[in-house]
Amino acid sequence: MADDVLDPLIHVPTRLKIVATLAALPDGDTLSFTRLQNMIGLTPGNLIIHLRKLEDAGYLSSKKTSNGTVSITTVALTGHGRAALGTYTQALRDLLGGL
Amino acid sequence: MNHTPDTTTSAGNGGNGGNFDPQQAAALLDQTTQQARRKFEPYPPWLLVIRAVGVLVAFGTVWLSVRGQHPYKHPTAAAIPVVITFGVLNLVATVAVARRATAGVSGRTEPRWAEITVMVVVWVGLFAVMGALAGAGVSPAFVYGIYPATVPLMVTGLAWAGIMAARADWRACGAALAVAVVGAVAASAGPAGAWAVVGVGLFAVLLGTAAAIAWRQRA
Repeated sequence: MADDVLDPLIHVPTRLKIVATLAALPDGDTLSFTRLQNMIGLTPGNLIIHLRKLEDAGYLSSKKTSNGTVSITTVALTGHGRAALGTYTQALRDLLGGL
Repeated sequence: MNHTPDTTTSAGNGGNGGNFDPQQAAALLDQTTQQARRKFEPYPPWLLVIRAVGVLVAFGTVWLSVRGQHPYKHPTAAAIPVVITFGVLNLVATVAVARRATAGVSGRTEPRWAEITVMVVVWVGLFAVMGALAGAGVSPAFVYGIYPATVPLMVTGLAWAGIMAARADWRACGAALAVAVVGAVAASAGPAGAWAVVGVGLFAVLLGTAAAIAWRQRA
Protein backbone atom coordinates (compact mmCIF):
# COMPACT_ATOMS: atom_id res chain seq x y z
CA MET A 1 0.00 0.00 0.00
CA ALA A 2 2.80 2.38 1.00
CA ASP A 3 4.76 1.45 -2.11
CA ASP A 4 1.84 2.59 -4.26
CA VAL A 5 1.84 6.15 -2.96
CA LEU A 6 5.51 6.69 -2.14
CA ASP A 7 7.79 7.60 -5.04
CA PRO A 8 9.92 4.45 -5.50
CA LEU A 9 12.88 6.53 -6.69
CA ILE A 10 13.05 8.38 -3.37
CA HIS A 11 11.72 5.62 -1.11
CA VAL A 12 15.13 3.97 -0.72
CA PRO A 13 17.21 4.87 2.36
CA THR A 14 20.30 6.02 0.48
CA ARG A 15 18.45 8.02 -2.15
CA LEU A 16 16.21 9.57 0.50
CA LYS A 17 19.36 10.72 2.32
CA ILE A 18 20.80 12.15 -0.89
CA VAL A 19 17.65 14.05 -1.80
CA ALA A 20 17.06 15.31 1.77
CA THR A 21 20.67 16.48 2.05
CA LEU A 22 20.55 18.38 -1.24
CA ALA A 23 17.16 19.85 -0.33
CA ALA A 24 18.73 21.43 2.78
CA LEU A 25 20.71 23.74 0.50
CA PRO A 26 19.10 26.94 -0.80
CA ASP A 27 17.46 26.58 -4.21
CA GLY A 28 20.10 26.82 -6.94
CA ASP A 29 23.10 25.91 -4.78
CA THR A 30 25.25 22.97 -5.80
CA LEU A 31 27.26 20.53 -3.69
CA SER A 32 30.53 18.84 -4.59
CA PHE A 33 30.46 15.08 -5.05
CA THR A 34 33.18 14.69 -2.39
CA ARG A 35 31.27 16.63 0.29
CA LEU A 36 28.06 14.75 -0.51
CA GLN A 37 29.94 11.46 -0.29
CA ASN A 38 31.34 12.43 3.12
CA MET A 39 27.92 13.42 4.39
CA ILE A 40 26.12 10.33 3.12
CA GLY A 41 28.92 7.89 3.95
CA LEU A 42 28.90 5.85 0.75
CA THR A 43 31.63 4.56 -1.52
CA PRO A 44 32.04 6.62 -4.71
CA GLY A 45 30.77 3.74 -6.85
CA ASN A 46 27.60 3.29 -4.81
CA LEU A 47 26.92 7.01 -4.74
CA ILE A 48 27.36 7.32 -8.51
CA ILE A 49 24.79 4.58 -9.12
CA HIS A 50 22.20 6.30 -6.94
CA LEU A 51 22.95 9.73 -8.38
CA ARG A 52 22.55 8.40 -11.90
CA LYS A 53 19.10 7.02 -11.10
CA LEU A 54 18.03 10.35 -9.67
CA GLU A 55 19.55 12.25 -12.57
CA ASP A 56 17.85 10.01 -15.13
CA ALA A 57 14.53 10.87 -13.47
CA GLY A 58 15.35 14.57 -13.67
CA TYR A 59 15.47 14.92 -9.87
CA LEU A 60 19.01 16.25 -9.85
CA SER A 61 21.55 17.71 -12.19
CA SER A 62 25.28 17.22 -12.18
CA LYS A 63 28.08 19.22 -13.68
CA LYS A 64 31.74 18.40 -14.14
CA THR A 65 34.23 21.25 -14.24
CA SER A 66 37.97 21.07 -14.69
CA ASN A 67 40.71 23.58 -14.15
CA GLY A 68 43.27 21.55 -16.05
CA THR A 69 44.60 19.34 -13.28
CA VAL A 70 41.64 18.75 -10.99
CA SER A 71 38.09 18.00 -12.05
CA ILE A 72 35.20 18.67 -9.70
CA THR A 73 31.75 17.17 -9.99
CA THR A 74 28.91 19.08 -8.43
CA VAL A 75 25.30 18.03 -7.97
CA ALA A 76 22.12 19.95 -7.26
CA LEU A 77 18.48 19.14 -6.74
CA THR A 78 16.35 20.35 -9.63
CA GLY A 79 12.99 22.04 -9.22
CA HIS A 80 11.43 18.75 -10.31
CA GLY A 81 13.42 16.92 -7.59
CA ARG A 82 12.43 19.43 -4.93
CA ALA A 83 8.76 19.06 -5.94
CA ALA A 84 9.08 15.26 -5.87
CA LEU A 85 10.50 15.39 -2.34
CA GLY A 86 7.61 17.68 -1.33
CA THR A 87 5.10 15.21 -2.74
CA TYR A 88 6.91 12.31 -1.06
CA THR A 89 6.93 14.13 2.30
CA GLN A 90 3.23 14.88 1.98
CA ALA A 91 2.50 11.25 1.12
CA LEU A 92 4.43 10.18 4.23
CA ARG A 93 2.45 12.64 6.35
CA ASP A 94 -0.81 11.31 4.95
CA LEU A 95 0.23 7.72 5.62
CA LEU A 96 1.38 8.42 9.16
CA GLY A 97 -1.31 10.93 10.01
CA GLY A 98 1.14 13.82 10.41
CA LEU A 99 4.91 13.71 11.03
CA MET B 1 11.45 9.50 15.17
CA ASN B 2 13.80 7.31 17.15
CA HIS B 3 14.74 4.44 14.92
CA THR B 4 17.13 4.99 12.09
CA PRO B 5 17.24 2.31 9.45
CA ASP B 6 20.37 1.03 7.78
CA THR B 7 21.24 3.66 5.24
CA THR B 8 23.98 1.78 3.50
CA THR B 9 21.61 -0.35 1.48
CA SER B 10 23.42 -1.63 -1.55
CA ALA B 11 23.00 0.39 -4.68
CA GLY B 12 22.66 -2.84 -6.55
CA ASN B 13 19.36 -3.79 -5.02
CA GLY B 14 17.49 -2.47 -7.98
CA GLY B 15 16.45 0.65 -6.14
CA ASN B 16 13.67 -0.99 -4.21
CA GLY B 17 12.74 0.22 -0.78
CA GLY B 18 12.48 -3.40 0.34
CA ASN B 19 10.99 -3.43 3.82
CA PHE B 20 11.71 0.26 4.33
CA ASP B 21 8.47 1.23 5.99
CA PRO B 22 6.99 4.76 6.06
CA GLN B 23 7.81 5.25 9.74
CA GLN B 24 11.47 4.48 9.12
CA ALA B 25 11.40 6.76 6.08
CA ALA B 26 9.92 9.61 8.12
CA ALA B 27 12.56 9.15 10.81
CA LEU B 28 15.37 9.07 8.28
CA LEU B 29 14.02 12.10 6.40
CA ASP B 30 13.70 14.05 9.65
CA GLN B 31 17.17 13.07 10.88
CA THR B 32 18.93 13.69 7.55
CA THR B 33 17.27 17.08 7.06
CA GLN B 34 18.23 18.27 10.54
CA GLN B 35 21.82 17.00 10.20
CA ALA B 36 22.24 18.59 6.76
CA ARG B 37 20.85 21.94 7.94
CA ARG B 38 23.25 21.90 10.90
CA LYS B 39 26.23 21.04 8.71
CA PHE B 40 25.44 23.67 6.06
CA GLU B 41 24.76 26.45 8.60
CA PRO B 42 27.55 29.07 8.41
CA TYR B 43 26.31 30.76 11.62
CA PRO B 44 25.54 27.90 14.03
CA PRO B 45 23.60 28.80 17.18
CA TRP B 46 26.47 27.83 19.51
CA LEU B 47 28.78 30.30 17.75
CA LEU B 48 26.17 33.05 17.99
CA VAL B 49 25.69 32.39 21.72
CA ILE B 50 29.47 32.60 22.30
CA ARG B 51 29.57 35.76 20.20
CA ALA B 52 26.70 37.23 22.23
CA VAL B 53 28.60 36.66 25.48
CA GLY B 54 31.78 38.09 23.89
CA VAL B 55 29.93 41.20 22.74
CA LEU B 56 28.51 41.71 26.22
CA VAL B 57 31.97 41.37 27.78
CA ALA B 58 33.72 43.61 25.21
CA PHE B 59 31.18 46.43 25.18
CA GLY B 60 30.59 46.05 28.92
CA THR B 61 34.32 46.51 29.53
CA VAL B 62 34.32 49.70 27.46
CA TRP B 63 31.23 50.98 29.27
CA LEU B 64 32.83 50.30 32.68
CA SER B 65 35.91 52.25 31.55
CA VAL B 66 33.93 55.35 30.50
CA ARG B 67 30.89 55.47 32.79
CA GLY B 68 32.64 57.57 35.43
CA GLN B 69 34.11 60.13 33.03
CA HIS B 70 32.77 63.66 33.42
CA PRO B 71 33.32 65.11 30.90
CA TYR B 72 33.55 62.15 28.55
CA LYS B 73 37.07 61.58 27.12
CA HIS B 74 37.52 58.12 25.58
CA PRO B 75 37.65 54.41 26.51
CA THR B 76 40.70 53.72 28.66
CA ALA B 77 43.75 51.86 27.36
CA ALA B 78 42.84 48.85 29.52
CA ALA B 79 39.55 48.36 27.64
CA ILE B 80 41.01 48.45 24.12
CA PRO B 81 42.85 45.06 24.27
CA VAL B 82 39.59 43.36 25.36
CA VAL B 83 37.76 44.78 22.33
CA ILE B 84 40.60 43.94 19.92
CA THR B 85 40.96 40.39 21.29
CA PHE B 86 37.23 39.83 20.94
CA GLY B 87 37.23 41.25 17.41
CA VAL B 88 40.11 39.03 16.27
CA LEU B 89 38.77 35.85 17.91
CA ASN B 90 35.30 36.53 16.51
CA LEU B 91 36.65 37.04 13.00
CA VAL B 92 38.84 33.93 13.09
CA ALA B 93 36.06 31.73 14.51
CA THR B 94 33.46 33.08 12.08
CA VAL B 95 35.65 32.54 9.02
CA ALA B 96 36.72 29.05 10.15
CA VAL B 97 33.18 27.88 10.87
CA ALA B 98 31.74 29.42 7.69
CA ARG B 99 34.46 27.88 5.53
CA ARG B 100 33.81 24.47 7.01
CA ALA B 101 30.04 24.77 6.58
CA THR B 102 30.22 25.95 2.98
CA ALA B 103 33.01 23.60 1.85
CA GLY B 104 31.96 22.09 -1.46
CA VAL B 105 28.92 24.38 -1.71
CA SER B 106 28.63 26.74 -4.66
CA GLY B 107 25.96 29.25 -5.50
CA ARG B 108 23.94 31.59 -3.34
CA THR B 109 25.45 30.45 -0.02
CA GLU B 110 29.00 31.11 -1.21
CA PRO B 111 30.46 34.45 -0.11
CA ARG B 112 30.92 36.75 -3.09
CA TRP B 113 33.94 38.96 -3.57
CA ALA B 114 31.77 41.97 -4.40
CA GLU B 115 29.97 41.65 -1.06
CA ILE B 116 33.20 41.20 0.90
CA THR B 117 34.66 44.25 -0.89
CA VAL B 118 31.59 46.35 -0.02
CA MET B 119 31.91 45.46 3.67
CA VAL B 120 35.67 46.13 3.76
CA VAL B 121 35.16 49.51 2.05
CA VAL B 122 32.37 50.38 4.51
CA TRP B 123 34.57 49.54 7.54
CA VAL B 124 37.62 51.39 6.20
CA GLY B 125 35.41 54.37 5.34
CA LEU B 126 33.95 54.42 8.86
CA PHE B 127 37.38 54.62 10.48
CA ALA B 128 38.58 57.18 7.92
CA VAL B 129 35.60 59.40 8.81
CA MET B 130 36.36 58.91 12.52
CA GLY B 131 39.95 60.03 11.93
CA ALA B 132 38.73 63.04 9.96
CA LEU B 133 36.28 63.98 12.73
CA ALA B 134 39.03 63.77 15.35
CA GLY B 135 41.28 65.87 13.13
CA ALA B 136 38.53 68.45 12.69
CA GLY B 137 38.28 68.91 16.44
CA VAL B 138 34.82 67.44 16.94
CA SER B 139 34.04 66.76 20.62
CA PRO B 140 35.50 63.54 22.16
CA ALA B 141 32.00 62.57 23.29
CA PHE B 142 31.05 62.10 19.66
CA VAL B 143 34.37 60.97 18.11
CA TYR B 144 35.28 58.43 20.83
CA GLY B 145 31.82 57.72 22.20
CA ILE B 146 28.67 57.94 20.13
CA TYR B 147 30.33 57.54 16.72
CA PRO B 148 32.39 54.33 17.27
CA ALA B 149 29.66 52.72 19.39
CA THR B 150 26.71 53.35 17.11
CA VAL B 151 27.54 54.51 13.57
CA PRO B 152 29.38 51.31 12.51
CA LEU B 153 26.36 49.28 13.61
CA MET B 154 23.93 51.46 11.68
CA VAL B 155 26.01 51.63 8.49
CA THR B 156 27.24 48.02 8.37
CA GLY B 157 23.84 46.74 9.54
CA LEU B 158 22.08 48.53 6.68
CA ALA B 159 24.77 47.50 4.15
CA TRP B 160 24.54 43.84 5.21
CA ALA B 161 20.73 43.98 5.20
CA GLY B 162 20.87 45.20 1.60
CA ILE B 163 23.25 42.40 0.60
CA MET B 164 21.10 39.77 2.31
CA ALA B 165 17.93 41.19 0.74
CA ALA B 166 19.60 40.83 -2.67
CA ARG B 167 20.24 37.17 -1.78
CA ALA B 168 16.62 36.83 -0.58
CA ASP B 169 17.97 35.66 2.79
CA TRP B 170 15.27 37.33 4.89
CA ARG B 171 16.38 35.90 8.23
CA ALA B 172 19.87 37.39 7.88
CA CYS B 173 18.36 40.59 6.47
CA GLY B 174 16.13 40.92 9.57
CA ALA B 175 19.07 40.31 11.92
CA ALA B 176 21.15 42.96 10.12
CA LEU B 177 18.30 45.46 10.36
CA ALA B 178 17.98 44.69 14.07
CA VAL B 179 21.70 45.49 14.46
CA ALA B 180 21.15 48.84 12.72
CA VAL B 181 18.20 49.57 15.02
CA VAL B 182 20.37 48.81 18.08
CA GLY B 183 22.88 51.36 16.79
CA ALA B 184 20.14 53.96 16.24
CA VAL B 185 18.66 53.44 19.71
CA ALA B 186 22.10 53.55 21.36
CA ALA B 187 22.83 56.89 19.70
CA SER B 188 20.29 58.51 22.01
CA ALA B 189 21.87 57.07 25.17
CA GLY B 190 24.80 59.48 25.36
CA PRO B 191 28.50 58.71 24.82
CA ALA B 192 28.93 56.40 27.83
CA GLY B 193 25.45 54.87 27.80
CA ALA B 194 25.75 54.05 24.08
CA TRP B 195 28.36 51.35 24.83
CA ALA B 196 26.05 49.68 27.36
CA VAL B 197 23.00 49.86 25.08
CA VAL B 198 24.99 48.41 22.17
CA GLY B 199 26.35 45.58 24.33
CA VAL B 200 22.92 44.60 25.65
CA GLY B 201 21.20 45.19 22.30
CA LEU B 202 23.64 43.07 20.31
CA PHE B 203 23.52 40.38 23.00
CA ALA B 204 19.74 40.21 22.56
CA VAL B 205 19.90 40.26 18.74
CA LEU B 206 22.51 37.48 18.65
CA LEU B 207 20.58 35.30 21.10
CA GLY B 208 17.39 35.88 19.11
CA THR B 209 19.13 34.94 15.88
CA ALA B 210 20.60 31.83 17.51
CA ALA B 211 17.14 30.81 18.70
CA ALA B 212 15.64 31.39 15.23
CA ILE B 213 18.34 29.29 13.56
CA ALA B 214 18.02 26.50 16.15
CA TRP B 215 14.23 26.49 15.69
CA ARG B 216 14.56 26.33 11.90
CA GLN B 217 17.05 23.48 12.11
CA ARG B 218 14.58 21.45 14.13
CA ALA B 219 11.51 22.39 12.10
